[in-house]
Amino acid sequence: MVAVLRNTATRWGERARAWAAKRQGIDPQRLELESRRVYILPTRAGLIFAVIVFTMLLGAMNYNNNMGFALTFLLTGIGIVSIHHCHHNLTGLLLQAVAASPVFAGDDLRFRFTLENPGRDARWQLKLGWDGGPTQVTELEPGERSTVNVPLPTQQRGRIKLPRVRVSTQFPLGLFQAWSWINMDLHGLAYPQPAARASGSSTGAPGRHDRGRDTAGDDDYSGMRDWREGDPPRRIAWKVMARTGQKLISEYEGGAPMPRWIDWDSEPTGDDEERVSRLARRVLDADEGGWEYGLRMPGGQVAPGVGPDHRHRCLELLALHGQRDTDA
Amino acid sequence: MKQKPLRERRQEPPQESAGQLIWLVGAVLLATLPHAPFVHPWIPLMVVAISASRLWLAFNRKRLPSAWLRVPLTLLAFTGILLTYRQISGVDAGSSLLLVMVAMKLLETRGHRDRAIVVFICYFLLFAAFLREQAPWAPFYLAIAVLAATTALLQTARRDQPIRAGRALWLAGRIVLQAVPLMILLFVLFPRVPGPFWSLPQRGGQATTGLSDSMSPGDITELALSDKVAFRVRFDDDIPRGASLYWRGPVLAQFNGRSWSMRARSYLPGLVDKVDRNGDSITYDITLEPNNQHWLLALETPVYWSAQRSTLTSTFALASFSPLDRRLSYTATSIVSGTTPGNMPDRARAADTYLPDGSNPRTRDWARMLRSRHETDRGFLSAILDTFRNQPYFYTLTPGVLGAQSVDEFLFSTREGFCGHYASAFAVLARAVGIPARVVTGYQGGELNPLGNYWIVRQSDAHAWVEVWLDGRWERIDPTAAVAPERIEWGMDVAIDRGSVGGAAALRGSAFAEQLLLSWDAVNTAWNRWVLAFGPDSQTDLLSRIGIPEPSTRHLILALTIGMALCLAWIWWLQQQRQAPRRDALAGLYRLLCQRTARAARPRRPDEGPTEYARAIAARRPDLATEVQRLFGAYARLRYDGPADSRRVARFREQVRAFRPAATPPADSPA
Repeated sequence: MVAVLRNTATRWGERARAWAAKRQGIDPQRLELESRRVYILPTRAGLIFAVIVFTMLLGAMNYNNNMGFALTFLLTGIGIVSIHHCHHNLTGLLLQAVAASPVFAGDDLRFRFTLENPGRDARWQLKLGWDGGPTQVTELEPGERSTVNVPLPTQQRGRIKLPRVRVSTQFPLGLFQAWSWINMDLHGLAYPQPAARASGSSTGAPGRHDRGRDTAGDDDYSGMRDWREGDPPRRIAWKVMARTGQKLISEYEGGAPMPRWIDWDSEPTGDDEERVSRLARRVLDADEGGWEYGLRMPGGQVAPGVGPDHRHRCLELLALHGQRDTDA
Repeated sequence: MKQKPLRERRQEPPQESAGQLIWLVGAVLLATLPHAPFVHPWIPLMVVAISASRLWLAFNRKRLPSAWLRVPLTLLAFTGILLTYRQISGVDAGSSLLLVMVAMKLLETRGHRDRAIVVFICYFLLFAAFLREQAPWAPFYLAIAVLAATTALLQTARRDQPIRAGRALWLAGRIVLQAVPLMILLFVLFPRVPGPFWSLPQRGGQATTGLSDSMSPGDITELALSDKVAFRVRFDDDIPRGASLYWRGPVLAQFNGRSWSMRARSYLPGLVDKVDRNGDSITYDITLEPNNQHWLLALETPVYWSAQRSTLTSTFALASFSPLDRRLSYTATSIVSGTTPGNMPDRARAADTYLPDGSNPRTRDWARMLRSRHETDRGFLSAILDTFRNQPYFYTLTPGVLGAQSVDEFLFSTREGFCGHYASAFAVLARAVGIPARVVTGYQGGELNPLGNYWIVRQSDAHAWVEVWLDGRWERIDPTAAVAPERIEWGMDVAIDRGSVGGAAALRGSAFAEQLLLSWDAVNTAWNRWVLAFGPDSQTDLLSRIGIPEPSTRHLILALTIGMALCLAWIWWLQQQRQAPRRDALAGLYRLLCQRTARAARPRRPDEGPTEYARAIAARRPDLATEVQRLFGAYARLRYDGPADSRRVARFREQVRAFRPAATPPADSPA
């Protein structure tokens, strides 16, 4: 019985969400919650309240008790007024989403939402979270702005669409719940989970958190050259820079001339996921090592280079491998 | 704008904070207070004890008691109520149950909904209190208690610490205040349905005092000692002299030798139309206290009355179809210049002259003897009054006990009695010689409250008199007036020894206290008249006064809908005002300034700041350079140097308005 009711409720919920998404369309990254998109329904406490007020009404009618009528009608008024207050606790709220920086699959994508209260009244008990998930509460004084971090767990590599966001409030009396659904066209990226180190990797480079710089082939110092975009920051000759103001790069023999290609075909064993994972490890290692490297995949390639942007392009190519919208 | 620190994910705390609990307990205590004097003392004591221990638990961060403690405790309390009241219906037992429920619920407030339910029970307790008493101060208490309960509800809706008291009161108070117009609208326009749907529980079987359907010797004495208000009257225009204020109640036409009783009520359709309306009429509003009787009091002879579900009996008394279990207000018009002549059928004459065989033989003999000495019935009747006046007959509240031949004993041996005795004796004497006679009970006189300009008629004003059929019409004769005229002119307090009445009547003797009592009664009466007596009739009356002649339920609902819509629009607008972005005077002025420079040079690009744009304008229009630099500089300072004071903004406004650059540079200036 309960299960049937719950199923029905879920089905209706799905319909309502589809209907709301259809009439609202895709939301911009920064939006104001206008009243047409703030929905409101009584909470369970609100329904109990309604039953109690109705009982009072029957009692007042039966006893023709005018003070009873007065209390009944005052409570009715309070209930109705609280609809407005609850609704207005949300409408006009400014909400801006900040894209999450990419993470490795298995980590949480940290989306951030900035809520801003442009009104003259404080807004209380604003709950924000993924639709159906846990929520976080924030309160805003007039003119105040607050940032809420909403983590999104990832399991698989690839482009991850921002789930539907739900902003809701039950303030002031908890008799009603006002909410708004937000569908933004915003994506996060989950890099492939890198394979464990030294499983047949030819480099033997130190871990990516290791800041050591003695990697094979880097040893022979050969002089300085001007800094170019993409040079790893740890090769900047900081001391020289502090002295002269010039940004110079220490050149090492063996690093620059021969770019290494990390190739899909060089990892022939295992299924796609394992291969992607091993390639990701090699990209990280190469990046750690400060080498110039390129990535060749069946769907495209990244020309050799160095630096965080380059690393991102390579990991992105890997993350999107085999996925439909590989528009990287 | 401040940037708030990032908040971490957190769960709802299992229990509320102590601050929220204080509000909750406050609401519970305020809802308990009005019941405290009426229910058995252990119940409010229990509520207070549980509230205190609940607060103690919260402040010391102790766990709530488990179900092993709560369930037996609840059962114990319910058993206690059963033992105390031996029932669970009725206002006292019902409110005791609610009090136990609210106290027990306080012990298991785990989530928001539990706390909300505590507040809801508080609301219901307030409602239950009004079933007991609706004094004029009730609305004030209602306002305070509802505000406190609503604030508690608002505080419980929050997840963590409560909002500061002042701020929370303001938030809740705003909601309550905005709800007041809706309340008034609903109060006035909500369709009122007359009559109870289910029977009303009697409170502790209290008997209400009032006139009854029969009268034995000594009955009215009980009433005379009661200071309770029977009804209040307001006259539309002239107040008749005290002597003519005979409020007719039950007419007793059946005599069994000792007591008078009412015949089976008979209603003659169209009776009211037969009344001769050519005499003086008087219109008055009566607010009748509940008495569980059927009688609506009116002056002789009522031709109009606004009370529904009531009728005129064949004896011209007004009767309600159902017992008066609540206060009732009605307007009535009576013809006071005399009753309508008619004829009396033989059967009626026989009934109204009937005396049981063998009852009061001395009285009947004496009546026949007296009648033979007079030529007319009228002479005979005034001879009786003369006898009462001149012989040693006494008016007293404590007459001797009378036996079976009550009239004989009264007339010839005890000779002291109350209005009932004189009326009874007079009617028997009249009947003994074949004059139709009947006893009328009701009230006579009353006390004028000059503050409210209305009359208070108390149970002590209860009276009995006689109506006799003379010259083809019923005529009122008050034998008590013969023996104690001051009773009729001045009322009971003068007629009898004050000390024997005592109580409030004695208090009424002191001038200051009397003034106070009268003021309080005036407040009470206004309250009863305007608020508590509001019902289906007054609703109809009110609506017809504002131009809806025959309001139906449909009209009411229509008016209610329109009114509610207006109210809601008003509240919506209020909220919209408060939540809308602040109007920024400075931004508006800046927009105006940019419009003017746009015409003179070029529009501002969205990414251009004021300084940048000013420089660009100055380069293009060197003739405006100084002024533009000054204006944009002023704007930048106002905008970015902390809060702008209004005087500086005002000066800036003047400068911007005065700045009207020509669209093209003057010809002589270097381009």
